Amino acid sequence: MDFETGDIVVGLMVAALGLLGLFLAARAWDDEMYLFGLALAGFAVLFDFGVVRRHFDRKDAALAARRAGHE
Amino acid sequence: MSEHVLPARPVVYNDAVVKKFVIACLVWAIVAFLAGVYIASELAWPQLNIAPYLNFGRLRPVHTSAAIFAFGGSALIGTSFYVVQRTCRARLWGGEALANFVFWGYQIFIVLAASSYLLGFSKSREYAEPEWHLDLLLVLVWVCYLLIYLGTLMRRAEPHIYVANWFYLGFIITIAMLVIVNNLGIPISPYSAKSYSWFSGVQDAMVQWWYGHNAVGFFLTVPFLGMMYYFIPKAANRPIYSYRLSIVHFWALIFIYIWAGPHHLLWTALPDWTQTLGMAFSIMLWMPSWGGMINGLMTLSGAWDKLRTDPGLRFSVTAVGFYGMSTFEGPAMSIRSVNALVHYSDWVIGHVHSGTLGWVAFITFGALYYLVPNLWGRKGLYSVRLAAWHYWIGTLGIVFYIASMWVAGLMEGLMWRAYDRFGFLKYSFVQVVVAEHPFMVLRMIGGVLFTIGAILMIYNLWMTVRSPATEAPRAELLPAGLPAGAVVAGE
Repeated sequence: MDFETGDIVVGLMVAALGLLGLFLAARAWDDEMYLFGLALAGFAVLFDFGVVRRHFDRKDAALAARRAGHE
Repeated sequence: MSEHVLPARPVVYNDAVVKKFVIACLVWAIVAFLAGVYIASELAWPQLNIAPYLNFGRLRPVHTSAAIFAFGGSALIGTSFYVVQRTCRARLWGGEALANFVFWGYQIFIVLAASSYLLGFSKSREYAEPEWHLDLLLVLVWVCYLLIYLGTLMRRAEPHIYVANWFYLGFIITIAMLVIVNNLGIPISPYSAKSYSWFSGVQDAMVQWWYGHNAVGFFLTVPFLGMMYYFIPKAANRPIYSYRLSIVHFWALIFIYIWAGPHHLLWTALPDWTQTLGMAFSIMLWMPSWGGMINGLMTLSGAWDKLRTDPGLRFSVTAVGFYGMSTFEGPAMSIRSVNALVHYSDWVIGHVHSGTLGWVAFITFGALYYLVPNLWGRKGLYSVRLAAWHYWIGTLGIVFYIASMWVAGLMEGLMWRAYDRFGFLKYSFVQVVVAEHPFMVLRMIGGVLFTIGAILMIYNLWMTVRSPATEAPRAELLPAGLPAGAVVAGE
């Protein structure tokens, strides 16, 4: 599995977890499940933003390396 | 041994995730130790039980989970990622995102578990308190951890799988099995955190202690032995005393440990033959445990002088000594007649802490003192003297802790079974509690000392990373011709 494929698979898995969290929070019977659902959704958002950030960081680094090679 | 020489080739290891686990391990150490000191104080001064969130009943699982799963777990996953990459000469399988998911998923599991205990949600199963929804999250994270580990082993450039990896893999697979079986339960609704165990009665107790004892065996023993088999030879710069013995150690431990759980239920409704089975297998555990201890200690042959100058190695070797001591004590306590005296007493608490503080925490501290300068590319520790202070303060803390608990435990056991000449119990329960008070205070002091030592370590490691005094010249870090971040695999 190359890194980009891994990012996509893990990113989608975590997004699914986040949606599940929202679903659980919406229908929760108790405070614990409500907090768990919200925490899962928040975690998914932050984690996937991290995956996106690292993807563009890598692209920027590759671009900078190419430019440095031309100079 | 193989004759062929493997070519040195650059591999960019994923050390970012190892660093994250190291930092998490240090943070959780302080949380676990402070929670321990607070609940120890509650036992000495019950007024500190502030309802509902700071009750002993809610804080105790916070302490045990923070110590075992947060501090110990972060140390284990982090070091296993470090070890498997270097002994396989391969980068972690699955990419950066999967490794990050294991890190953040594990951390959020711990935070949510701790907060659920404080809110009053618990399955009331020792070391398995998180409710069903948190168990499912843990299983998902753990499966990803297993995939990364197996994937890295399968893509290895070394023909041989180094023994430390066997211990780590044994831990990952067995913990998955234990967690899944012990936590089988039926939620009252998919939208409620409350669930009931699949098992009932004595079967439920047996499953719980099959899990409970193997949590000790496969979480607190087996993977830390993996740590021992990698970091002691590295720090001492010596090969393992007997590689053959390490393999025998592994298979004997794996085979025998899994049967020892019933010794937690001696003198209960558990069938007699099952109790005898648990006792017999616990006594058999002496042999592999001491074989491993001897192997760890003898690795220092020809390098004992390093104990004077390397406090990290001193931690590791002392840890092996504590491993030997607590693996002698455990089987002794599982003998029926000994168990009749010490079970339910504070001796058990002393035994557990000689293992967790002396073995688990000390072997981790030894690994951290080795890892941090290496991971962050520093030429050495900020202060060897401060590390030596940590060692002595920590050791003194353990002595206070376990000695007070041994005495308290024996006293309790003897007072509970004392009869007067008419056949009545000589002491009421509260008289035993009152007699224990000084030992509870001593135990708390031991915990405070141990925590102070850990704070010194964190300061020392922080300064190791930040201080200009520990900066290594670039030429020392990278072999010629390698890009930044790359090291020669197999080092």
